[in-house]
Amino acid sequence: MNWHEFVRIFDDCELAGDKIIVKSRLHDVIEFVIKNYPYNMLKEIIAVDNKDNTTELIYHMYSVDDEEDLYISITVQGEAESIVDIFESATADEREIYDLFGINFIGHEDLKRLYMPEDWKGFPLRKDYVQDDTRLAWNDNNEA
Amino acid sequence: MTTTRLKLNLGPQHPSTHGVLRLLLELEGEKILSCEPDIGYLHRGMEKMAEKLSYIQYLPLVDRIDYLAGFFYSELLCRIVESACGIEIPDKVKVIRVLMLELNRIASHLLWVGAFLMDLGATSPYFYVFREREMILRYFEKITGQRMMYNYFIFGGVRKDIEFLEDVEEIISVLPSKIDDYEKIITDNPIFIRRTENKGILSPDTAVNFAITGVNLRASGVDYDCRHTDELYRGFDFKSIILDGKDAWSRYKARILEMRESINIIKQALDYLKKSNPLEQRLIPPINLKLPEGDYYAEIEAPRGLASCYVRSDGEDKPYRLKWRTGSYYSVNLLRRILKGEYLNDAIAIAGSLDIILPEVDK
Repeated sequence: MNWHEFVRIFDDCELAGDKIIVKSRLHDVIEFVIKNYPYNMLKEIIAVDNKDNTTELIYHMYSVDDEEDLYISITVQGEAESIVDIFESATADEREIYDLFGINFIGHEDLKRLYMPEDWKGFPLRKDYVQDDTRLAWNDNNEA
Repeated sequence: MTTTRLKLNLGPQHPSTHGVLRLLLELEGEKILSCEPDIGYLHRGMEKMAEKLSYIQYLPLVDRIDYLAGFFYSELLCRIVESACGIEIPDKVKVIRVLMLELNRIASHLLWVGAFLMDLGATSPYFYVFREREMILRYFEKITGQRMMYNYFIFGGVRKDIEFLEDVEEIISVLPSKIDDYEKIITDNPIFIRRTENKGILSPDTAVNFAITGVNLRASGVDYDCRHTDELYRGFDFKSIILDGKDAWSRYKARILEMRESINIIKQALDYLKKSNPLEQRLIPPINLKLPEGDYYAEIEAPRGLASCYVRSDGEDKPYRLKWRTGSYYSVNLLRRILKGEYLNDAIAIAGSLDIILPEVDK
């Protein structure tokens, strides 16, 4: 696929095989990609916690007609742009990532706990997560 | 007289939610104004556990992600490890895996047919499908020692050679006539048609936008079946079932036809296995198994849509990050849209037709 136009507009991106690494303007990037390339499905968003307080988000896109995958990767710190207005499936993915990694997606209206209880402390899939909530039985030091 | 809006909790203990799905419905009369799925009642922390366990310790666990189609998730994890270690599995192992996966797909679809009809109020098909599913589960038990949590695939091959092929022969000789029987009592049944035809219309654009995959997508007329690009299925002759009805009835019909297609694949696998030599495989030693640094990705066409596994390894014996994608998770998300404007009595039929299973959603 011809990525010249893409590289011209988003000049801070890096192409590596079927993976595009962008630094900013994620919403614009996704919008541009679906408008100009045949990618029409967002299969999933993968979040990976880097140990330096940043999180890598990998947007796994797919073209149903061309049977081609595309990965768009962005490293964020605490918050990211939401793409729920482009892909409805992102509603589910972003909420899962909020629940497990604590990434705040700006523009997502229903960002709340998904798997974990409402009053759960911390975000379990972060590498610096410590389970020390004293309300839980296994953290109770008084027990013999 | 005026009608007031009512908030109704459907589940999590409702029998038609197939596990523990809670739907928070807002009703005006019997019309659904909005639907808010609430999940997480079955969350076991599959992804967190992966980061604490070595690959071989994690392998028996992945069957539990979807307890009705455990083979598919074992296959994904095995595929990740095999591709990372650069191991090419022998042809016979591939065919054994295809045989098991397709039998598993039939068992899963059979249970869905029974459960779906039960949702609609027809109790007798449930007993018929369990009779046929039992044949498949008995065979799995003979080979793997387990009825549901098989733990049969292992890195580089399978735990033991395939046996009792005459049982599979019996299953595929009996099954087509049994499916004919189901079709006789279900497919053209006027009550069934009235409850499913034109109910829960899922347009192709909506389906793709919601990342719906598998049978639900194909019943909306979109041709996407990742078995066609799958290395494992190379050499097998089969076609995907594409229907363009877009409604609950089409999703039912597509699953029935897919079972027939799976029988076709099993026949081809049987022909190969009957002529094959005893299994010779080179397993990957699981003790101290470390994957080279990098990202690994594997996907497979599971009964409830595309399932995939992503692993990032930092060269240690445990994954740095492991993520599962499951088809049902996105189907639950779709309920917010597809139930809007429908009547409450159709909600059960529509949600049932999407084949949602909760362990897969909650992971």
